[in-house]
Amino acid sequence: MTHYDAIIVGAGAGGGVAAGVLASAGKRILMLERGPHSEFAQVPRDHLRSQRGSFYGHNAGPDIEGNPRTLEDGSIVLPHQRGYQNNAAMVGGGTRVFGAQAWRFMPQDFRMASIYGVPKGSSLADWPIDYEELEPWYERVEWEIGVSGTESAMTHLPPYRRPYPMPSLPPNTSMRTHLKGLEKLGWQSLPMPQFINSVDYNGRQACIRCQQCVGFACPVEAKNGTHNTTIAAALRSGNCELKPGVMVERIDCDDGGRVRGVNWIDDAGERDSATAEIVIVSAGAVESARLLFNSATKREPNGLGNQSDQVGRHLQGHYYPLAIGLFPERMMDNLGPGGGVATCQFNHDNPDVIGGGMLADDFIVLPIISWKIYVPRDIKRWGLPARQFMRDRYRCLGDIKGPVHEIPSPDGRVTLDSKVRDKFGIPVAHLSGTTHPETVRTASFIYDRAEEWLRASGAEKVWGYRPDLRLSGGQHQAGTCRMGEDPAESVVDPWQRVHGHDNLFVLDGSVHVTNGGFNPVLTIMATSWRAAEHIVEQW
Amino acid sequence: MFNALQLQTLHAAIDRIIPEDDFPGGVEAGVADYLLRQLGRDLAHLAQDYPRFCDALEAEAQAAHGQAFAALKDEQQDDMLTRVERGEVQADWPLDPAAFFAEFIEHCAEGFYSDPGNGGNRDGVAWRMIGYEVKG
Repeated sequence: MTHYDAIIVGAGAGGGVAAGVLASAGKRILMLERGPHSEFAQVPRDHLRSQRGSFYGHNAGPDIEGNPRTLEDGSIVLPHQRGYQNNAAMVGGGTRVFGAQAWRFMPQDFRMASIYGVPKGSSLADWPIDYEELEPWYERVEWEIGVSGTESAMTHLPPYRRPYPMPSLPPNTSMRTHLKGLEKLGWQSLPMPQFINSVDYNGRQACIRCQQCVGFACPVEAKNGTHNTTIAAALRSGNCELKPGVMVERIDCDDGGRVRGVNWIDDAGERDSATAEIVIVSAGAVESARLLFNSATKREPNGLGNQSDQVGRHLQGHYYPLAIGLFPERMMDNLGPGGGVATCQFNHDNPDVIGGGMLADDFIVLPIISWKIYVPRDIKRWGLPARQFMRDRYRCLGDIKGPVHEIPSPDGRVTLDSKVRDKFGIPVAHLSGTTHPETVRTASFIYDRAEEWLRASGAEKVWGYRPDLRLSGGQHQAGTCRMGEDPAESVVDPWQRVHGHDNLFVLDGSVHVTNGGFNPVLTIMATSWRAAEHIVEQW
Repeated sequence: MFNALQLQTLHAAIDRIIPEDDFPGGVEAGVADYLLRQLGRDLAHLAQDYPRFCDALEAEAQAAHGQAFAALKDEQQDDMLTRVERGEVQADWPLDPAAFFAEFIEHCAEGFYSDPGNGGNRDGVAWRMIGYEVKG
């Protein structure tokens, strides 16, 4: 059996960063990924099957066959269906097809319980680390992965020590219109920081401003994920062996709690295994929890790291209030990626609600998504009125939306389904509960601000979607292996080592105690970079 | 899957859901091609229901006008589809007319507005119509 220094389970944002850090330190790594290692042409620009509009499936996995989950009502749910809480399954994970927003969390985001108190029934808690601790790692990721932005505009954060490596992309019509709205309201405005090359960077070219960015792979690799940065570097180093298309069945752990390696199954059903000095779990908040459950031992019959019944709890993602506006003039000028102007005016310090969230205009909305979600409901859905609305007004639609702080609940959780198995025969994730109801109040407050902004920008008509109480995870999934000092209340320590296990780590969004009012990927990368460097230092 | 009469009815209905103006209507834009392709794939569970839907539309036309659905005037077809949309049907329907019609509308829109790779939106005609340009 082959022995490695480290085995990394999952080649997404967290695992991808870990691979880069460990490989550059000379460690021999095996990286296992359930999805494929795809060329651009293998990630179809399919408007009915993308990570943005998954009406019939996904362009970036997982396959809709053989990967079920189950819901509280006993139903089986497939990856493209509501309630599955899907994230992409391929090398690069979500970063291959993401919208590439590169937000730092705010200092307050790490101290939510101290600032707001803990509402009854919630598991809201402070992080064991703070912004200052994470700041050098944010900066490291911004430079190594590549972020374009305008640091002087980030007035909601402490001053940056180092600027962004690339300037912001020039604004399009939508951004210019919404910027005027913010000026009128006197709200903070900033160009959204993005993992997108605004100029040639790190050997790859600048963004060509195409119209199919979020939900799709980049045709020129100007969108910076782990697949074309840290994982590519790890593979070039010769220290990283990548096995795509394999599903890890369990982590092999001895009676003393020391992890020996992992067992996996490939698409042909063949089983194999390897041993390692350490194992890093980076499968995303749902699948990382599922793997820990499925790796139960006599010593830990409820799953590795789960002596305190914390694994799988506090599942969170983001509620997304969406307000849509119809403008007298054209907003859409086909200059991608689209979204770009944001405000962090309402992330904190709001009256009577906990937290808040960033708001921004959205990416270019695909025509079929515009049809299904954006066309006003008082327009007849067939015949000339429907068609003429799209013909004459598709380009006049604008939108403001944003990720709202979720107030975690211990009952919003991942457990193991004892009956339903995936195509490999492995028990699947069961999803139950909801976020804490306070989330709905925060989302509603933020929704009202989104409408206010659209009106200030000149929308003649405004409508939208105010989120209802539900379980949330999806592409921003987090929280199921929360970080903490106390093993009774957390799964990993502040260095992301699983309590009770010397050589088992979780490096992904699972460790987030709270998930910010921002897209979480920069924070996943920053925490992972910090933890991986610490692993190397302590080796 | 469809006999000739069913296909004729389907085409006529698609062209009322997405009628032509100065740009092509649904059938010319490939919506029927999209739908037939999907009935062999993601919508295979509706492969029996779609011909039944066409039969029911035809029966409805015969009951109301004594003519084939496809032979009716545009306004007559629209009036009949409006009644189907409201579930106000005269003929004996083997499926829920309003619910099926709502699905039919979405399928037509998918064939018209999604990418040509899905079999509809011929040469990107719907995107040209609304001004969505794919460059790069």
